[in-house]
Amino acid sequence: MKTNAWILAVLALLLSAPWWLPDYGLEVAIQALILALFATAFNLVFAETGLLSFGHAAFFGAGAYTVALLMQRAGWPYLLTLPAAVLVAGLLALVIGFFSVRTSRIYFTMLTLAFAQLVWAVVHKWYAFTGGDNGITGLHPGALWGDARALYYLALLLFALGFYLVRALHNSPFGYALRAIRDNPARAEAVGLSPFGYLLAAFTLSGALAGAAGFLQVAWQRSAFPDFLYWTKSAEAIIAAILGGAQALFGPALGSLVFVELGAFVQSRTEYWPLVLGLVLLALVLFLPQGLAGLGGGGRARG
Amino acid sequence: MDLSFVVLQFLTGLAYASSLFLLAVGLSLIFGALGIVNFAHGSFYMLGAYLLYWVVRGDPEGLWWGLVVVAALGFVIGAATERLLLRPVYGRPEHYQILLTYALLLVIEDGVKLLFGSAYKSLGPPAALAYPVWIAGAPFPAYYFVQIALALAVAGALWFFLQRTRSGALVRAATQDREMLEALGVNVPRLLTVVFAMGIALAALGGAATLPMQTVSPGIAVEAVISAFIVVVVGGLGSVWGALLGAFLIGEIQAFGVLVLPEFSIAFVYLLMVVVLLVRPWGLLGRPPAVRT
Repeated sequence: MKTNAWILAVLALLLSAPWWLPDYGLEVAIQALILALFATAFNLVFAETGLLSFGHAAFFGAGAYTVALLMQRAGWPYLLTLPAAVLVAGLLALVIGFFSVRTSRIYFTMLTLAFAQLVWAVVHKWYAFTGGDNGITGLHPGALWGDARALYYLALLLFALGFYLVRALHNSPFGYALRAIRDNPARAEAVGLSPFGYLLAAFTLSGALAGAAGFLQVAWQRSAFPDFLYWTKSAEAIIAAILGGAQALFGPALGSLVFVELGAFVQSRTEYWPLVLGLVLLALVLFLPQGLAGLGGGGRARG
Repeated sequence: MDLSFVVLQFLTGLAYASSLFLLAVGLSLIFGALGIVNFAHGSFYMLGAYLLYWVVRGDPEGLWWGLVVVAALGFVIGAATERLLLRPVYGRPEHYQILLTYALLLVIEDGVKLLFGSAYKSLGPPAALAYPVWIAGAPFPAYYFVQIALALAVAGALWFFLQRTRSGALVRAATQDREMLEALGVNVPRLLTVVFAMGIALAALGGAATLPMQTVSPGIAVEAVISAFIVVVVGGLGSVWGALLGAFLIGEIQAFGVLVLPEFSIAFVYLLMVVVLLVRPWGLLGRPPAVRT
């Protein structure tokens, strides 16, 4: 019962936020939700399979550019581009995953990084199609989605759906199979689980969810930029996930909230936000290996 | 496309490859011996350029002794970094090490901004090298030859150190089997400190050596580290010769790719990285991982 009370309180807080947050606070909250969805998507692969992808910016960016291009060139209404963004990001993840999930550990990290940078290089320079490094700007997501409150609820809804999906997968036979493959690939294969199929499915789903985060980013910034696909964007998801605690389902979301809120707080006082973030991360790695979620006694680690 | 143009383009590629080699070889050594992917490597490269600017106080004539001082400073900074920050995370999962070095990247980037300001810094070549050399009727910066010579000298010195000295043999052994080395009574922690410090010294030297030809800003670190990754992945993680070959290939692909498809020359480089990882994940000159890993 106590847990339920907590959940209700958090839910009430989240749902009422647009009515008591100042304008700037609401903008920051939207950004936190977008990163939370992105980091949760990344963590689906990282926590369940142990594979560290350094290429999720490609899926985030693929989603964002799908939205931007469809709106700018085909005149699609914003909301209708969501399925397309998820689909394109998922397909890209399917292709990249097809080549990457067979490799292990550091090679997987490097290969996803290389693929994502390849996509970035093309987007960054293909002026005729993507606008190159100017990006695609001046997008108007329609009257309703131009309103910060509406966008907040949309982001909250998508994050909730994404979180629910990841949680459902975690508790499903699919999730157990993934963790079996993570912990002992040889034994998993011996009992008939094909690592390739499972890993590819997880990677594709994760990429599709990251695409949904990219979809939201376009409405928030009213633009799409090549930076969305740069490797430092992938690093943001990784930081948020580890900051919050990758082994807890809510860890990436918690990490995103802290990351974005701390960033907004520090940036309003000093321009040296990366320095502060770097020092926080150093302290985290050296003194708090379980992430913020580990502060709660450690008993909540997922099993 | 006439021959002199090709030669010129080749030499330009070689100059670029030289700074890539200095940048990447330390990353490769560090990965080989410590097993750490150093995301802050490009930051030490960038820091090296700033340190040079600082020690010579903007005077191009101080370049020669400046390079020596920067390499020495890089060694000290590298040793301190390894002792204080990296040592506690050995044996922890890789992502902590990646996070740690990424945190270092952020700290160094902003630290440099704080100390030196965010304005671009530049330093011309020394007066004796400030003139172009004429090759087949076209001007070519004389300083590029210094960069090429420096890279070759470092490669030669590394070869001598690794193949012909006892310490070098220990470093090579550390990339193969650290536990065995420890069992043999070698002071492995001190060895790892030295390897890391050497790698950082080389990165700082590489960054400093580009300052006479390029303006630097703190932002070059994130690009540099990715270039270094490409070089070592293509050449083979942990392999010095791989870094040399990788740097050469990337430098020339950039130099000639610009002629074929100017906009996408950088995409060619990533494509090469992808292809190598797919066909030969351990790199062109790397060794396939032993079964026990």
